[in-house]
Amino acid sequence: MPMKIQKTESDNQLVVERIHHAKSYRLTVDRALCAGCELCSLICPRESITVNKQQKKEGQKIQRPVIDVDEEKCQYCGICATICPHGAVQVTIDGENIASVVEKESFPQLIREITADTTKCPTDCTECEEACPLDLIKVTLNPTTKEVAVDIKEEQCPCCGVCEIKCPEGAINVRRIFTGKLEINQEKCPSGCRDCLDVCPITGALYFSEEDGKVHANELFCTYCGVCKIVCPEEGALELSRSTVRHTPVRSGAWNKALEKLTSTAEMTKELRGKGRKRTMDAVQKLLEPRKK
Amino acid sequence: MTEPMPERKPKTETLATSSKKVGEKPRIGVFVCHCGVNIAEVVDVKELTEYVKTLPDVVYAKEVRYACATLGQDKIGKSIKEHNLNRVVVAACSPRLYESTFRKTCAEAGLNPYFFEMANIREFSSWCHTNTPKEATEKAKEIVKIAVAKARLLQPLKEIEVPVTNKALVIGGGIAGINSALDLADMGFKVYLLEKTESIGGHMAQLDKTFPTLDCSICIEGPKMVDVGRHPNIGIISYADLVSVSGFVGNFKVKIRKNPRYVISENCTGCGECKEVCPIEYPNEWDINMGVRKAISVPFEQSVPLLYTINMDHCIECYKCVDACDARQAINFDQKPEEIELTVGAIIVAVGFESYLPYADRLYGYGKYDNVITAMEFERLILAAGPTGGRVIRASDGEKPHSVVFVQCVGSRDVGKYEYCSGFCCMYTLKHTVMLKEKYKDDIQIYVIYTDLRSDFKGYEEFYNRAKKAGVHFIRTTLENRSITEDPKTKNLLVHAETEGGQPVEIEAEMVVLANAAVSVHDAAELAEILNIPIGANGFFVECQPKIRPTETDTPGIFLAGACQGLKDIPYSVSQGSGAAAQAAAVLSKPTWIIEPVVARVNEDLCSGCGVCESVCGYDAVRIEKTDGKELAKVTEGLCRGCGICGATCPAGAITMPLYTEAQVIAQVRAVLEKVK
Repeated sequence: MPMKIQKTESDNQLVVERIHHAKSYRLTVDRALCAGCELCSLICPRESITVNKQQKKEGQKIQRPVIDVDEEKCQYCGICATICPHGAVQVTIDGENIASVVEKESFPQLIREITADTTKCPTDCTECEEACPLDLIKVTLNPTTKEVAVDIKEEQCPCCGVCEIKCPEGAINVRRIFTGKLEINQEKCPSGCRDCLDVCPITGALYFSEEDGKVHANELFCTYCGVCKIVCPEEGALELSRSTVRHTPVRSGAWNKALEKLTSTAEMTKELRGKGRKRTMDAVQKLLEPRKK
Repeated sequence: MTEPMPERKPKTETLATSSKKVGEKPRIGVFVCHCGVNIAEVVDVKELTEYVKTLPDVVYAKEVRYACATLGQDKIGKSIKEHNLNRVVVAACSPRLYESTFRKTCAEAGLNPYFFEMANIREFSSWCHTNTPKEATEKAKEIVKIAVAKARLLQPLKEIEVPVTNKALVIGGGIAGINSALDLADMGFKVYLLEKTESIGGHMAQLDKTFPTLDCSICIEGPKMVDVGRHPNIGIISYADLVSVSGFVGNFKVKIRKNPRYVISENCTGCGECKEVCPIEYPNEWDINMGVRKAISVPFEQSVPLLYTINMDHCIECYKCVDACDARQAINFDQKPEEIELTVGAIIVAVGFESYLPYADRLYGYGKYDNVITAMEFERLILAAGPTGGRVIRASDGEKPHSVVFVQCVGSRDVGKYEYCSGFCCMYTLKHTVMLKEKYKDDIQIYVIYTDLRSDFKGYEEFYNRAKKAGVHFIRTTLENRSITEDPKTKNLLVHAETEGGQPVEIEAEMVVLANAAVSVHDAAELAEILNIPIGANGFFVECQPKIRPTETDTPGIFLAGACQGLKDIPYSVSQGSGAAAQAAAVLSKPTWIIEPVVARVNEDLCSGCGVCESVCGYDAVRIEKTDGKELAKVTEGLCRGCGICGATCPAGAITMPLYTEAQVIAQVRAVLEKVK
């Protein structure tokens, strides 16, 4: 069979495929999970992903931006799947979920560090489950042992930390994936506009103040995905920058480039320097080791 | 003791002795050839000869049965001496065939070879006016009269000698080019082998087996590829394109662009460690995109040169390969295309062929039905080193088919598409059927839908019998009314055809293999333009003469080998490769090459240096240069092809073409306009 490159789109899914006689590659975007943020499009090494801002209809809330993948450009490397904080992208090779960049250690994985000390959980509390803005938490009580289990769909969790704050017992601990800065320039922010708030996937990361009729940021919950910035109609009204990304260790050009695009050249250099220092230390230690013996 | 070869020294005419003859009154001898019956059956040769005798300055006219035969030539030679002829006209066939022979005859008889003129009374008269002999004879009289008019004004000319660079360029590293390169290199000539792709080998390296012996293709080609790679006289320039060719036989200047591999060839050891760490897989063209290869890889294991290449259309620049390459430091992401210039004495074009993919031919469902594949796709499927490891499986379900239909002549022998027969499809289909039968025995049913089965070379008919004995069903149908439909549930295919008697044929198959047409390379026209060689209507390069000069082109010093001249299978590509090498060697082995003196000549007293000639010359042969403070047209004789366009456009009449001077042409025109007495 001659090779086929195809794209199929539906309301809840976008699928691009490259099918060979004896091997097939597929990238699926789950539209329900996709927040329409810019992360994947920023770091795609082949620039095959675009984020399309939706036209706002009269009297309606703005819709989330929709991502599109160019089936001719996509290499099925899996970088987008790796970076997506919401687990909305999946790359499969012959039906198997494989991110070849992770397998070949040319790209890191995000570190999602979420711990729940269920011994602290009261048997009747479901605060975290209710608090999760993405419905990723399920609290269950074993009727016989009376043990509480907190199941979190980690692969879809952007680590906003709402559950951590809302937990009355301090049982949950969440470390952020991204750190950064989100600022709303109130002078420029158009009064009455709530576009950013309407698309933000995390309830509480942005809030509308009835006092001044403007949107304010609550960085405590912000995951720095950047979808707010995409929809903001006023240039300079919303400033977002990322500074660090928690990821598994990797030494790769693709990551350096991705990091530069996600954060800034300065932040990327900082990380590189840190890695360099570590390598030097390792090398020195290696040299010293035989002397110890 | 062997008898020594009799020495036959032609008496070479010098210009000094001939110029004496210029002043002499013309003494023209005319020889009218019968060409057996070719001319004599239509044209009244006797009447023609008698007529010729009446023309002014004709002192001798004679009929000859075959002017080109030894007897005829001896007669011409003797007559030159006996009758003290100083101009010779032969009224026979086309000068394309025999002009050079008769020139040599004149030279041997002590006459400047350019005191010769040919009148074509065969192609121009007897062959095209077979039913009107009387008129044909009248026309022949006119043709000869014109030739005599010109002969009267012929001038002696001296042939031009140009130095020869004894190196060759072979374009295309398939089996034909490989043989050309090896033969020339073994003869001691330096050869550059230019290959567009990453490795030499061509189509043969893609094949599993070869017919009719079922030899493993790469096993027999591989050693030749290795020989090429190791030969001290061969320089492989792979992953490179031909940019331009200028110059002339013996002295071609060739520009080549080497595309960046992003790998430093001197440092790459071919170890393949980079490939192991590369995360990206892209469609492998070598596998007809049925399989994949890494963004840094070689197209196949036996690649020559064994040099890795990064495909920047797919690379994500993770630099994992750089780490893996480590101290070898063979990877350079900053590599740029590099242009090199070579000087060679001869060029062999062996760029091969491509395959027609019948996407547009909706009747066959190629690209639409998963289990319809082309023959080359089948080849990669059954090949152990192919994308499925040699398992013949259906794309729809990964299962081995239990019935396969082979459909012949897809695109070939189709007046609307490619009228010609692709030549090797019948035989590779037989090969595929025999291979399948031997692999799966009675577990597979095989049908061949054909119109004519061509198995006309050594061992081929026997191979056809072998396929029949193996139980392959051959079904003869017409070329028209063939179609394929798919059962959407089982993904099985229904092949519909019709016998010559109009009986419908319908076969259900789990897989269909199309014998798709072979076509000329997609950039054949571009290449023809660069090389200045003619290209035929079907995209294949045109040889000098299809029967007896199949490896030569109209451009001296440029030769053809393999399928780019016309489709042919491996043994004939190999032979033609060697044949072209021998012809190239005939150029390269000489210190100088003689070219016809029919080149533009500039009368510097008349030339005003206006440059019109330079602007019309299609061969870069005329240029305006400053000499002694005066701008004058200068002709590079080696480049000039004698087309005469500069002479025709020169407003001052400063450029003349020897053998076609104004005086000669006007004399010919006058002769046409005069009534034949």
